[in-house]
Amino acid sequence: MSITRRVFLRNSALAVVGTAAVPSFLARAAMGAAAPGTRTRRLVVIFQRGAADGLNIVVPHAEPQYYAMRPSINIPRKAVLDLDGFFGLHPSLEPFQPLWQQRQLAIVHAAGSPDPNRSHFDAQDFMESGTPGVKSTEDGWLNRALRNLPAPPQKSAFEAIAMGPSIPRILAGLEPAIAINNINDFAVGGRNPKASPVANTFEAMYDHSLDTVMHGTGEETFDAVKMLKAADPSQYKPAPGADYPKGRFGDSLRQLAQLIKANLGVQVAFADIGGWDHHVNEGATEGQIANVLHDFSQSLAAFWTDLGDLGEDTVVVTMSEFGRTARENGNRGTDHGHANVMFVLGGPVKGGKVYGRWPGLDQSQLYEGRDLALTTDFRQVLGEAVARHMGNKNLGTVFPGYDNQPGKFLRLLG
Amino acid sequence: MPVGRAKIGIFFLCVGLACAVPPLLAKKKDKPVASAGDQRRALHALNRLTFGPRPGDVQRVMAIGVDQWIDLQLHPEKIDDIALVAHLEPLRTTRLSTKELAEDFPDGQEINQIISGKRAMPTDAALRMVYQIQIDRQLERKERLQEAKNTNPAVADRASETPSDGSTMAPGSSGAGKNASADNSAMNAGSAGNDAAADANTRAVADTGDAMASTVPAKPSPEEEEQARRREAQLYTDLDVQQLPSLSPDERFKKILKMSPDAQRSLADSLRGGKGPEFLEGLSAKQKETLLAMNNPAGVVTSELAQAKLVRAIYSDRQLEEVMTDFWFNHFNVFADKGVDRLLITGYERDVIRPHALGKFEDLLVATAKSPAMLFYLDNWLSVGPDSAQALGIPLHPYGPYGGLHPPRPNQGKRPSGLNENYGRELLELHTLSVNGGYSQRDVTEVAKVFTGWTIDKPYQGGSFKFDPRMHEPGPKFVLGRRIKPKGEDEGLEVLHRLATSPQTAHFISLKLAERFVADDPPPALVDRMAKTFLKKKGDIREVMTVLLHSPEFWDDGAYRDKVKTPLEFVASAVRATGAEVDDATPLVRQLNNMGMPLYGAQPPTGYSMKAETWVSSSALLNRMNFALALTSGKIKGVKVDVAQLAGSNASSSPPADSTVTLSALEASLLTGDVSKQTHDSITAQINGSKTNGPKIDGAQIDKAKIDGAKSDAVKSDGAVNGVPAKQNNKAGASKPANSARPPDVSTIAGLLLGSPEFQRR
Repeated sequence: MSITRRVFLRNSALAVVGTAAVPSFLARAAMGAAAPGTRTRRLVVIFQRGAADGLNIVVPHAEPQYYAMRPSINIPRKAVLDLDGFFGLHPSLEPFQPLWQQRQLAIVHAAGSPDPNRSHFDAQDFMESGTPGVKSTEDGWLNRALRNLPAPPQKSAFEAIAMGPSIPRILAGLEPAIAINNINDFAVGGRNPKASPVANTFEAMYDHSLDTVMHGTGEETFDAVKMLKAADPSQYKPAPGADYPKGRFGDSLRQLAQLIKANLGVQVAFADIGGWDHHVNEGATEGQIANVLHDFSQSLAAFWTDLGDLGEDTVVVTMSEFGRTARENGNRGTDHGHANVMFVLGGPVKGGKVYGRWPGLDQSQLYEGRDLALTTDFRQVLGEAVARHMGNKNLGTVFPGYDNQPGKFLRLLG
Repeated sequence: MPVGRAKIGIFFLCVGLACAVPPLLAKKKDKPVASAGDQRRALHALNRLTFGPRPGDVQRVMAIGVDQWIDLQLHPEKIDDIALVAHLEPLRTTRLSTKELAEDFPDGQEINQIISGKRAMPTDAALRMVYQIQIDRQLERKERLQEAKNTNPAVADRASETPSDGSTMAPGSSGAGKNASADNSAMNAGSAGNDAAADANTRAVADTGDAMASTVPAKPSPEEEEQARRREAQLYTDLDVQQLPSLSPDERFKKILKMSPDAQRSLADSLRGGKGPEFLEGLSAKQKETLLAMNNPAGVVTSELAQAKLVRAIYSDRQLEEVMTDFWFNHFNVFADKGVDRLLITGYERDVIRPHALGKFEDLLVATAKSPAMLFYLDNWLSVGPDSAQALGIPLHPYGPYGGLHPPRPNQGKRPSGLNENYGRELLELHTLSVNGGYSQRDVTEVAKVFTGWTIDKPYQGGSFKFDPRMHEPGPKFVLGRRIKPKGEDEGLEVLHRLATSPQTAHFISLKLAERFVADDPPPALVDRMAKTFLKKKGDIREVMTVLLHSPEFWDDGAYRDKVKTPLEFVASAVRATGAEVDDATPLVRQLNNMGMPLYGAQPPTGYSMKAETWVSSSALLNRMNFALALTSGKIKGVKVDVAQLAGSNASSSPPADSTVTLSALEASLLTGDVSKQTHDSITAQINGSKTNGPKIDGAQIDKAKIDGAKSDAVKSDGAVNGVPAKQNNKAGASKPANSARPPDVSTIAGLLLGSPEFQRR
């Protein structure tokens, strides 16, 4: 795949970022060298659970209404990390700056689900099932997306991973997916070599079992365990410069990077991060949202650095079930809203730009007079990732009931 | 019933004849009366009505007679549960009223009220200590905020960081088990000056560590200032604290109450995350609770609740009642980690769910509708009619008793002013009619209006249901095609009555019961019969269950061991099967968190799924296998297993003379002898493989072994394992031969059996 996206590397940008932080594939592209070998396209989905406050994450600092509506929890113009003169990043998203400048990070604002539901449970469910408004969908869109993928030479046990103790809704379905809570625990009897005979016996039990479900899952499991063992995760060290913060989300991404780099055939992956439901005391440049944004961005930036060259074939998309009210509430927080912000990070991403149409924050422009209005359906963004990056053009099965026209893609992928 | 019995008698005869005779031991010789079919019936009944058979259960059931035993279980009041009482004794909070819980385990709101002088401090010294620590922490937070604000004017002034409406969550990870994992993201602010206020929300989940926490150990990272201050005080208090474990329990507790606040804080820190057991050694249950409450008051309550649930599942003799309680709690799910629900769930399960578990559905429905736990969880307590007196800011009765006009009471934005449809929707969709039950969005809105005013009196002080006419939407409502006359609280009762007697509800409840007790996709004919009974017997759950448990579908051969155990069922059945002694259920609670089924931790109102596909994943399988091995080898703290006793004659846990005899003994005791050939052979292979430096059956050899395994079933003494030649030993990744030389000991064999495919099903 020749790199056709606009790689815009001004000398000054490189100087700011420092050559060490520029992935070699980018440098290679600048030199016009051929892109590296095998192509496993990867899609990583990150879910911010709890309705993240998009307006305080990518701040429309040129909107006077923004400041009028949030007297005590706004991000002042001088604190914002400006992106394009209109939008700016919350200062805690500083780790995203180099990614923006290197044109690997794109932003879609006023995006999300059109469903008016403001229940966390329902809205998350809708976003994971990929069918807003329909409660009877049993599987998840990410699982369905796997169905018609151009098959890689070997179907891997690690094709679809969820970082956590169980398979989330988004990966529920017919395609096999694994949930990994902790790589170190992903073995029978731990890493103790004495456990091996026992592990083998279990494996034989499940392999020979006439119980189809147990047999199938057993096979998946032991294949995955063996593959992981062979990849020798205990020797793993993150790439230099990949500084994961402490905590569950950083851990998840670190392990995910490890799994991706171990050449296990990971194609889609999922991780989530909670702590966004700031009804009370959301904070501004400091406080709850600042803390979680710091964790969020530092983890993702570390992940990106850690992936190195593999970032060329990887696209990361973030989403949240809905945004929050444009106005602050009586508790210096915000309530459940509507449209939100999505980040799209990746090698093929035409970054450095805020996509989507900004609807404005005047009273008449708000959704139901209270929330940021929706101008991009989340399925437009995800659909493009699935169709153009992963190569599954069969979007009608991935997002049934939606008008999946390629013409509606934002064209943020090159 | 007599008619059914005759039919059943004939049926079971056929079943008995049709059953393959499982390999049994000497027991068969001892009881010539019992046929294999009888045993299988007993086992099936135990598998479905209980959390798994214990050693000797099958015999006991057969002695009473399966049908009689089932009827007994359907009348739990006839079963005394004395054994359980002793096990529940230390879990004191499970017996307290919600009011007492609110007093002894203060929530953020209460602390704030004391700080602002609206409430007085408690007089009891132990309580004062707990309160004082919470107050101190709260004040410190405010201090830090003030400092931060002075340096950065953009920072908001915070009066409190606990949510006033309780609808904040710390949502965690994925899917079916969306558990409230300790979200450490907010806790990892590296630099000084970052506000630890966020800690409050997440710490509530993380601290005592066990009830709702995720697998990531929650270590708060104190800011530098805090650390410096602590270090100073530490020098002086360390000595005090360190001497505590050497005192007798009563002395110790007295000393603690007399220590300085700093020393008490230091002690609290030493107890975080389950550390410092030496401080708790020998203390009474109440004293322990007090000390743990220093860090996380509400966490003590939820932790004991979760422990109690496991203890009941393992030790109660009223097994069906426990299973039904679990079923109904899941049906009327409340998420424990939402605000003050942490303190409300204890009473909810004890006073609302369990008493009605085998009673009348309508009684249960009304009780849940009025329960503070449900009102809070689905926000109905905040729901206000758009035209209600409160919303309009007008007095409810415009004229006073003497004809004078009441002044308007404008809603100054302090009181909630909007209709909340959450409960209305879930009442129709999840509790009664089901999603396809034929209601519209309009019905949802109208039902929501009906229930406006159904609220909680003093929710943060353990108050109970109250109907507030000011919040109630005036006027008639139109629900499911019928007009409801305006009559205040009775409107809700009318709607609940209609829902409880609706054919859709009858069908939905019957379907869910059949899913739980018969199959993931139950036979429609059975569901129909159950629904008919539901309607005919006015929602009598016991009657419906009677139909289910005596139905041919329940006893169908295909239903035997057909359902996959949920993590709760797996853990409980494993402990029961081994006859283990549980001194401390906390590690078991933690296991369930790891397995993605944190007790009382299902975030969405749908509760946990009972279907196989949710619980069968590679992570799940590995967890189960690892748990099984850990359990039988005594690695689960607080749970003592006597594997040797299970194995019968082999009285030591070191490699016995003949592992194959042990295997048979364990198969009989753990799986009632009903083990598949494949499982038996796999374990036998390991036993035999270890007798010589035989090969392990790994990777590439599976297919060959499969074929050979089918051929050979005798134990070969020459070490050739199922025809696989001994020389294929050095595959990459194979373990060293030296380790396989030891035959698997009793506990390993037991662990293998509990981790087998058979044991995953019931």
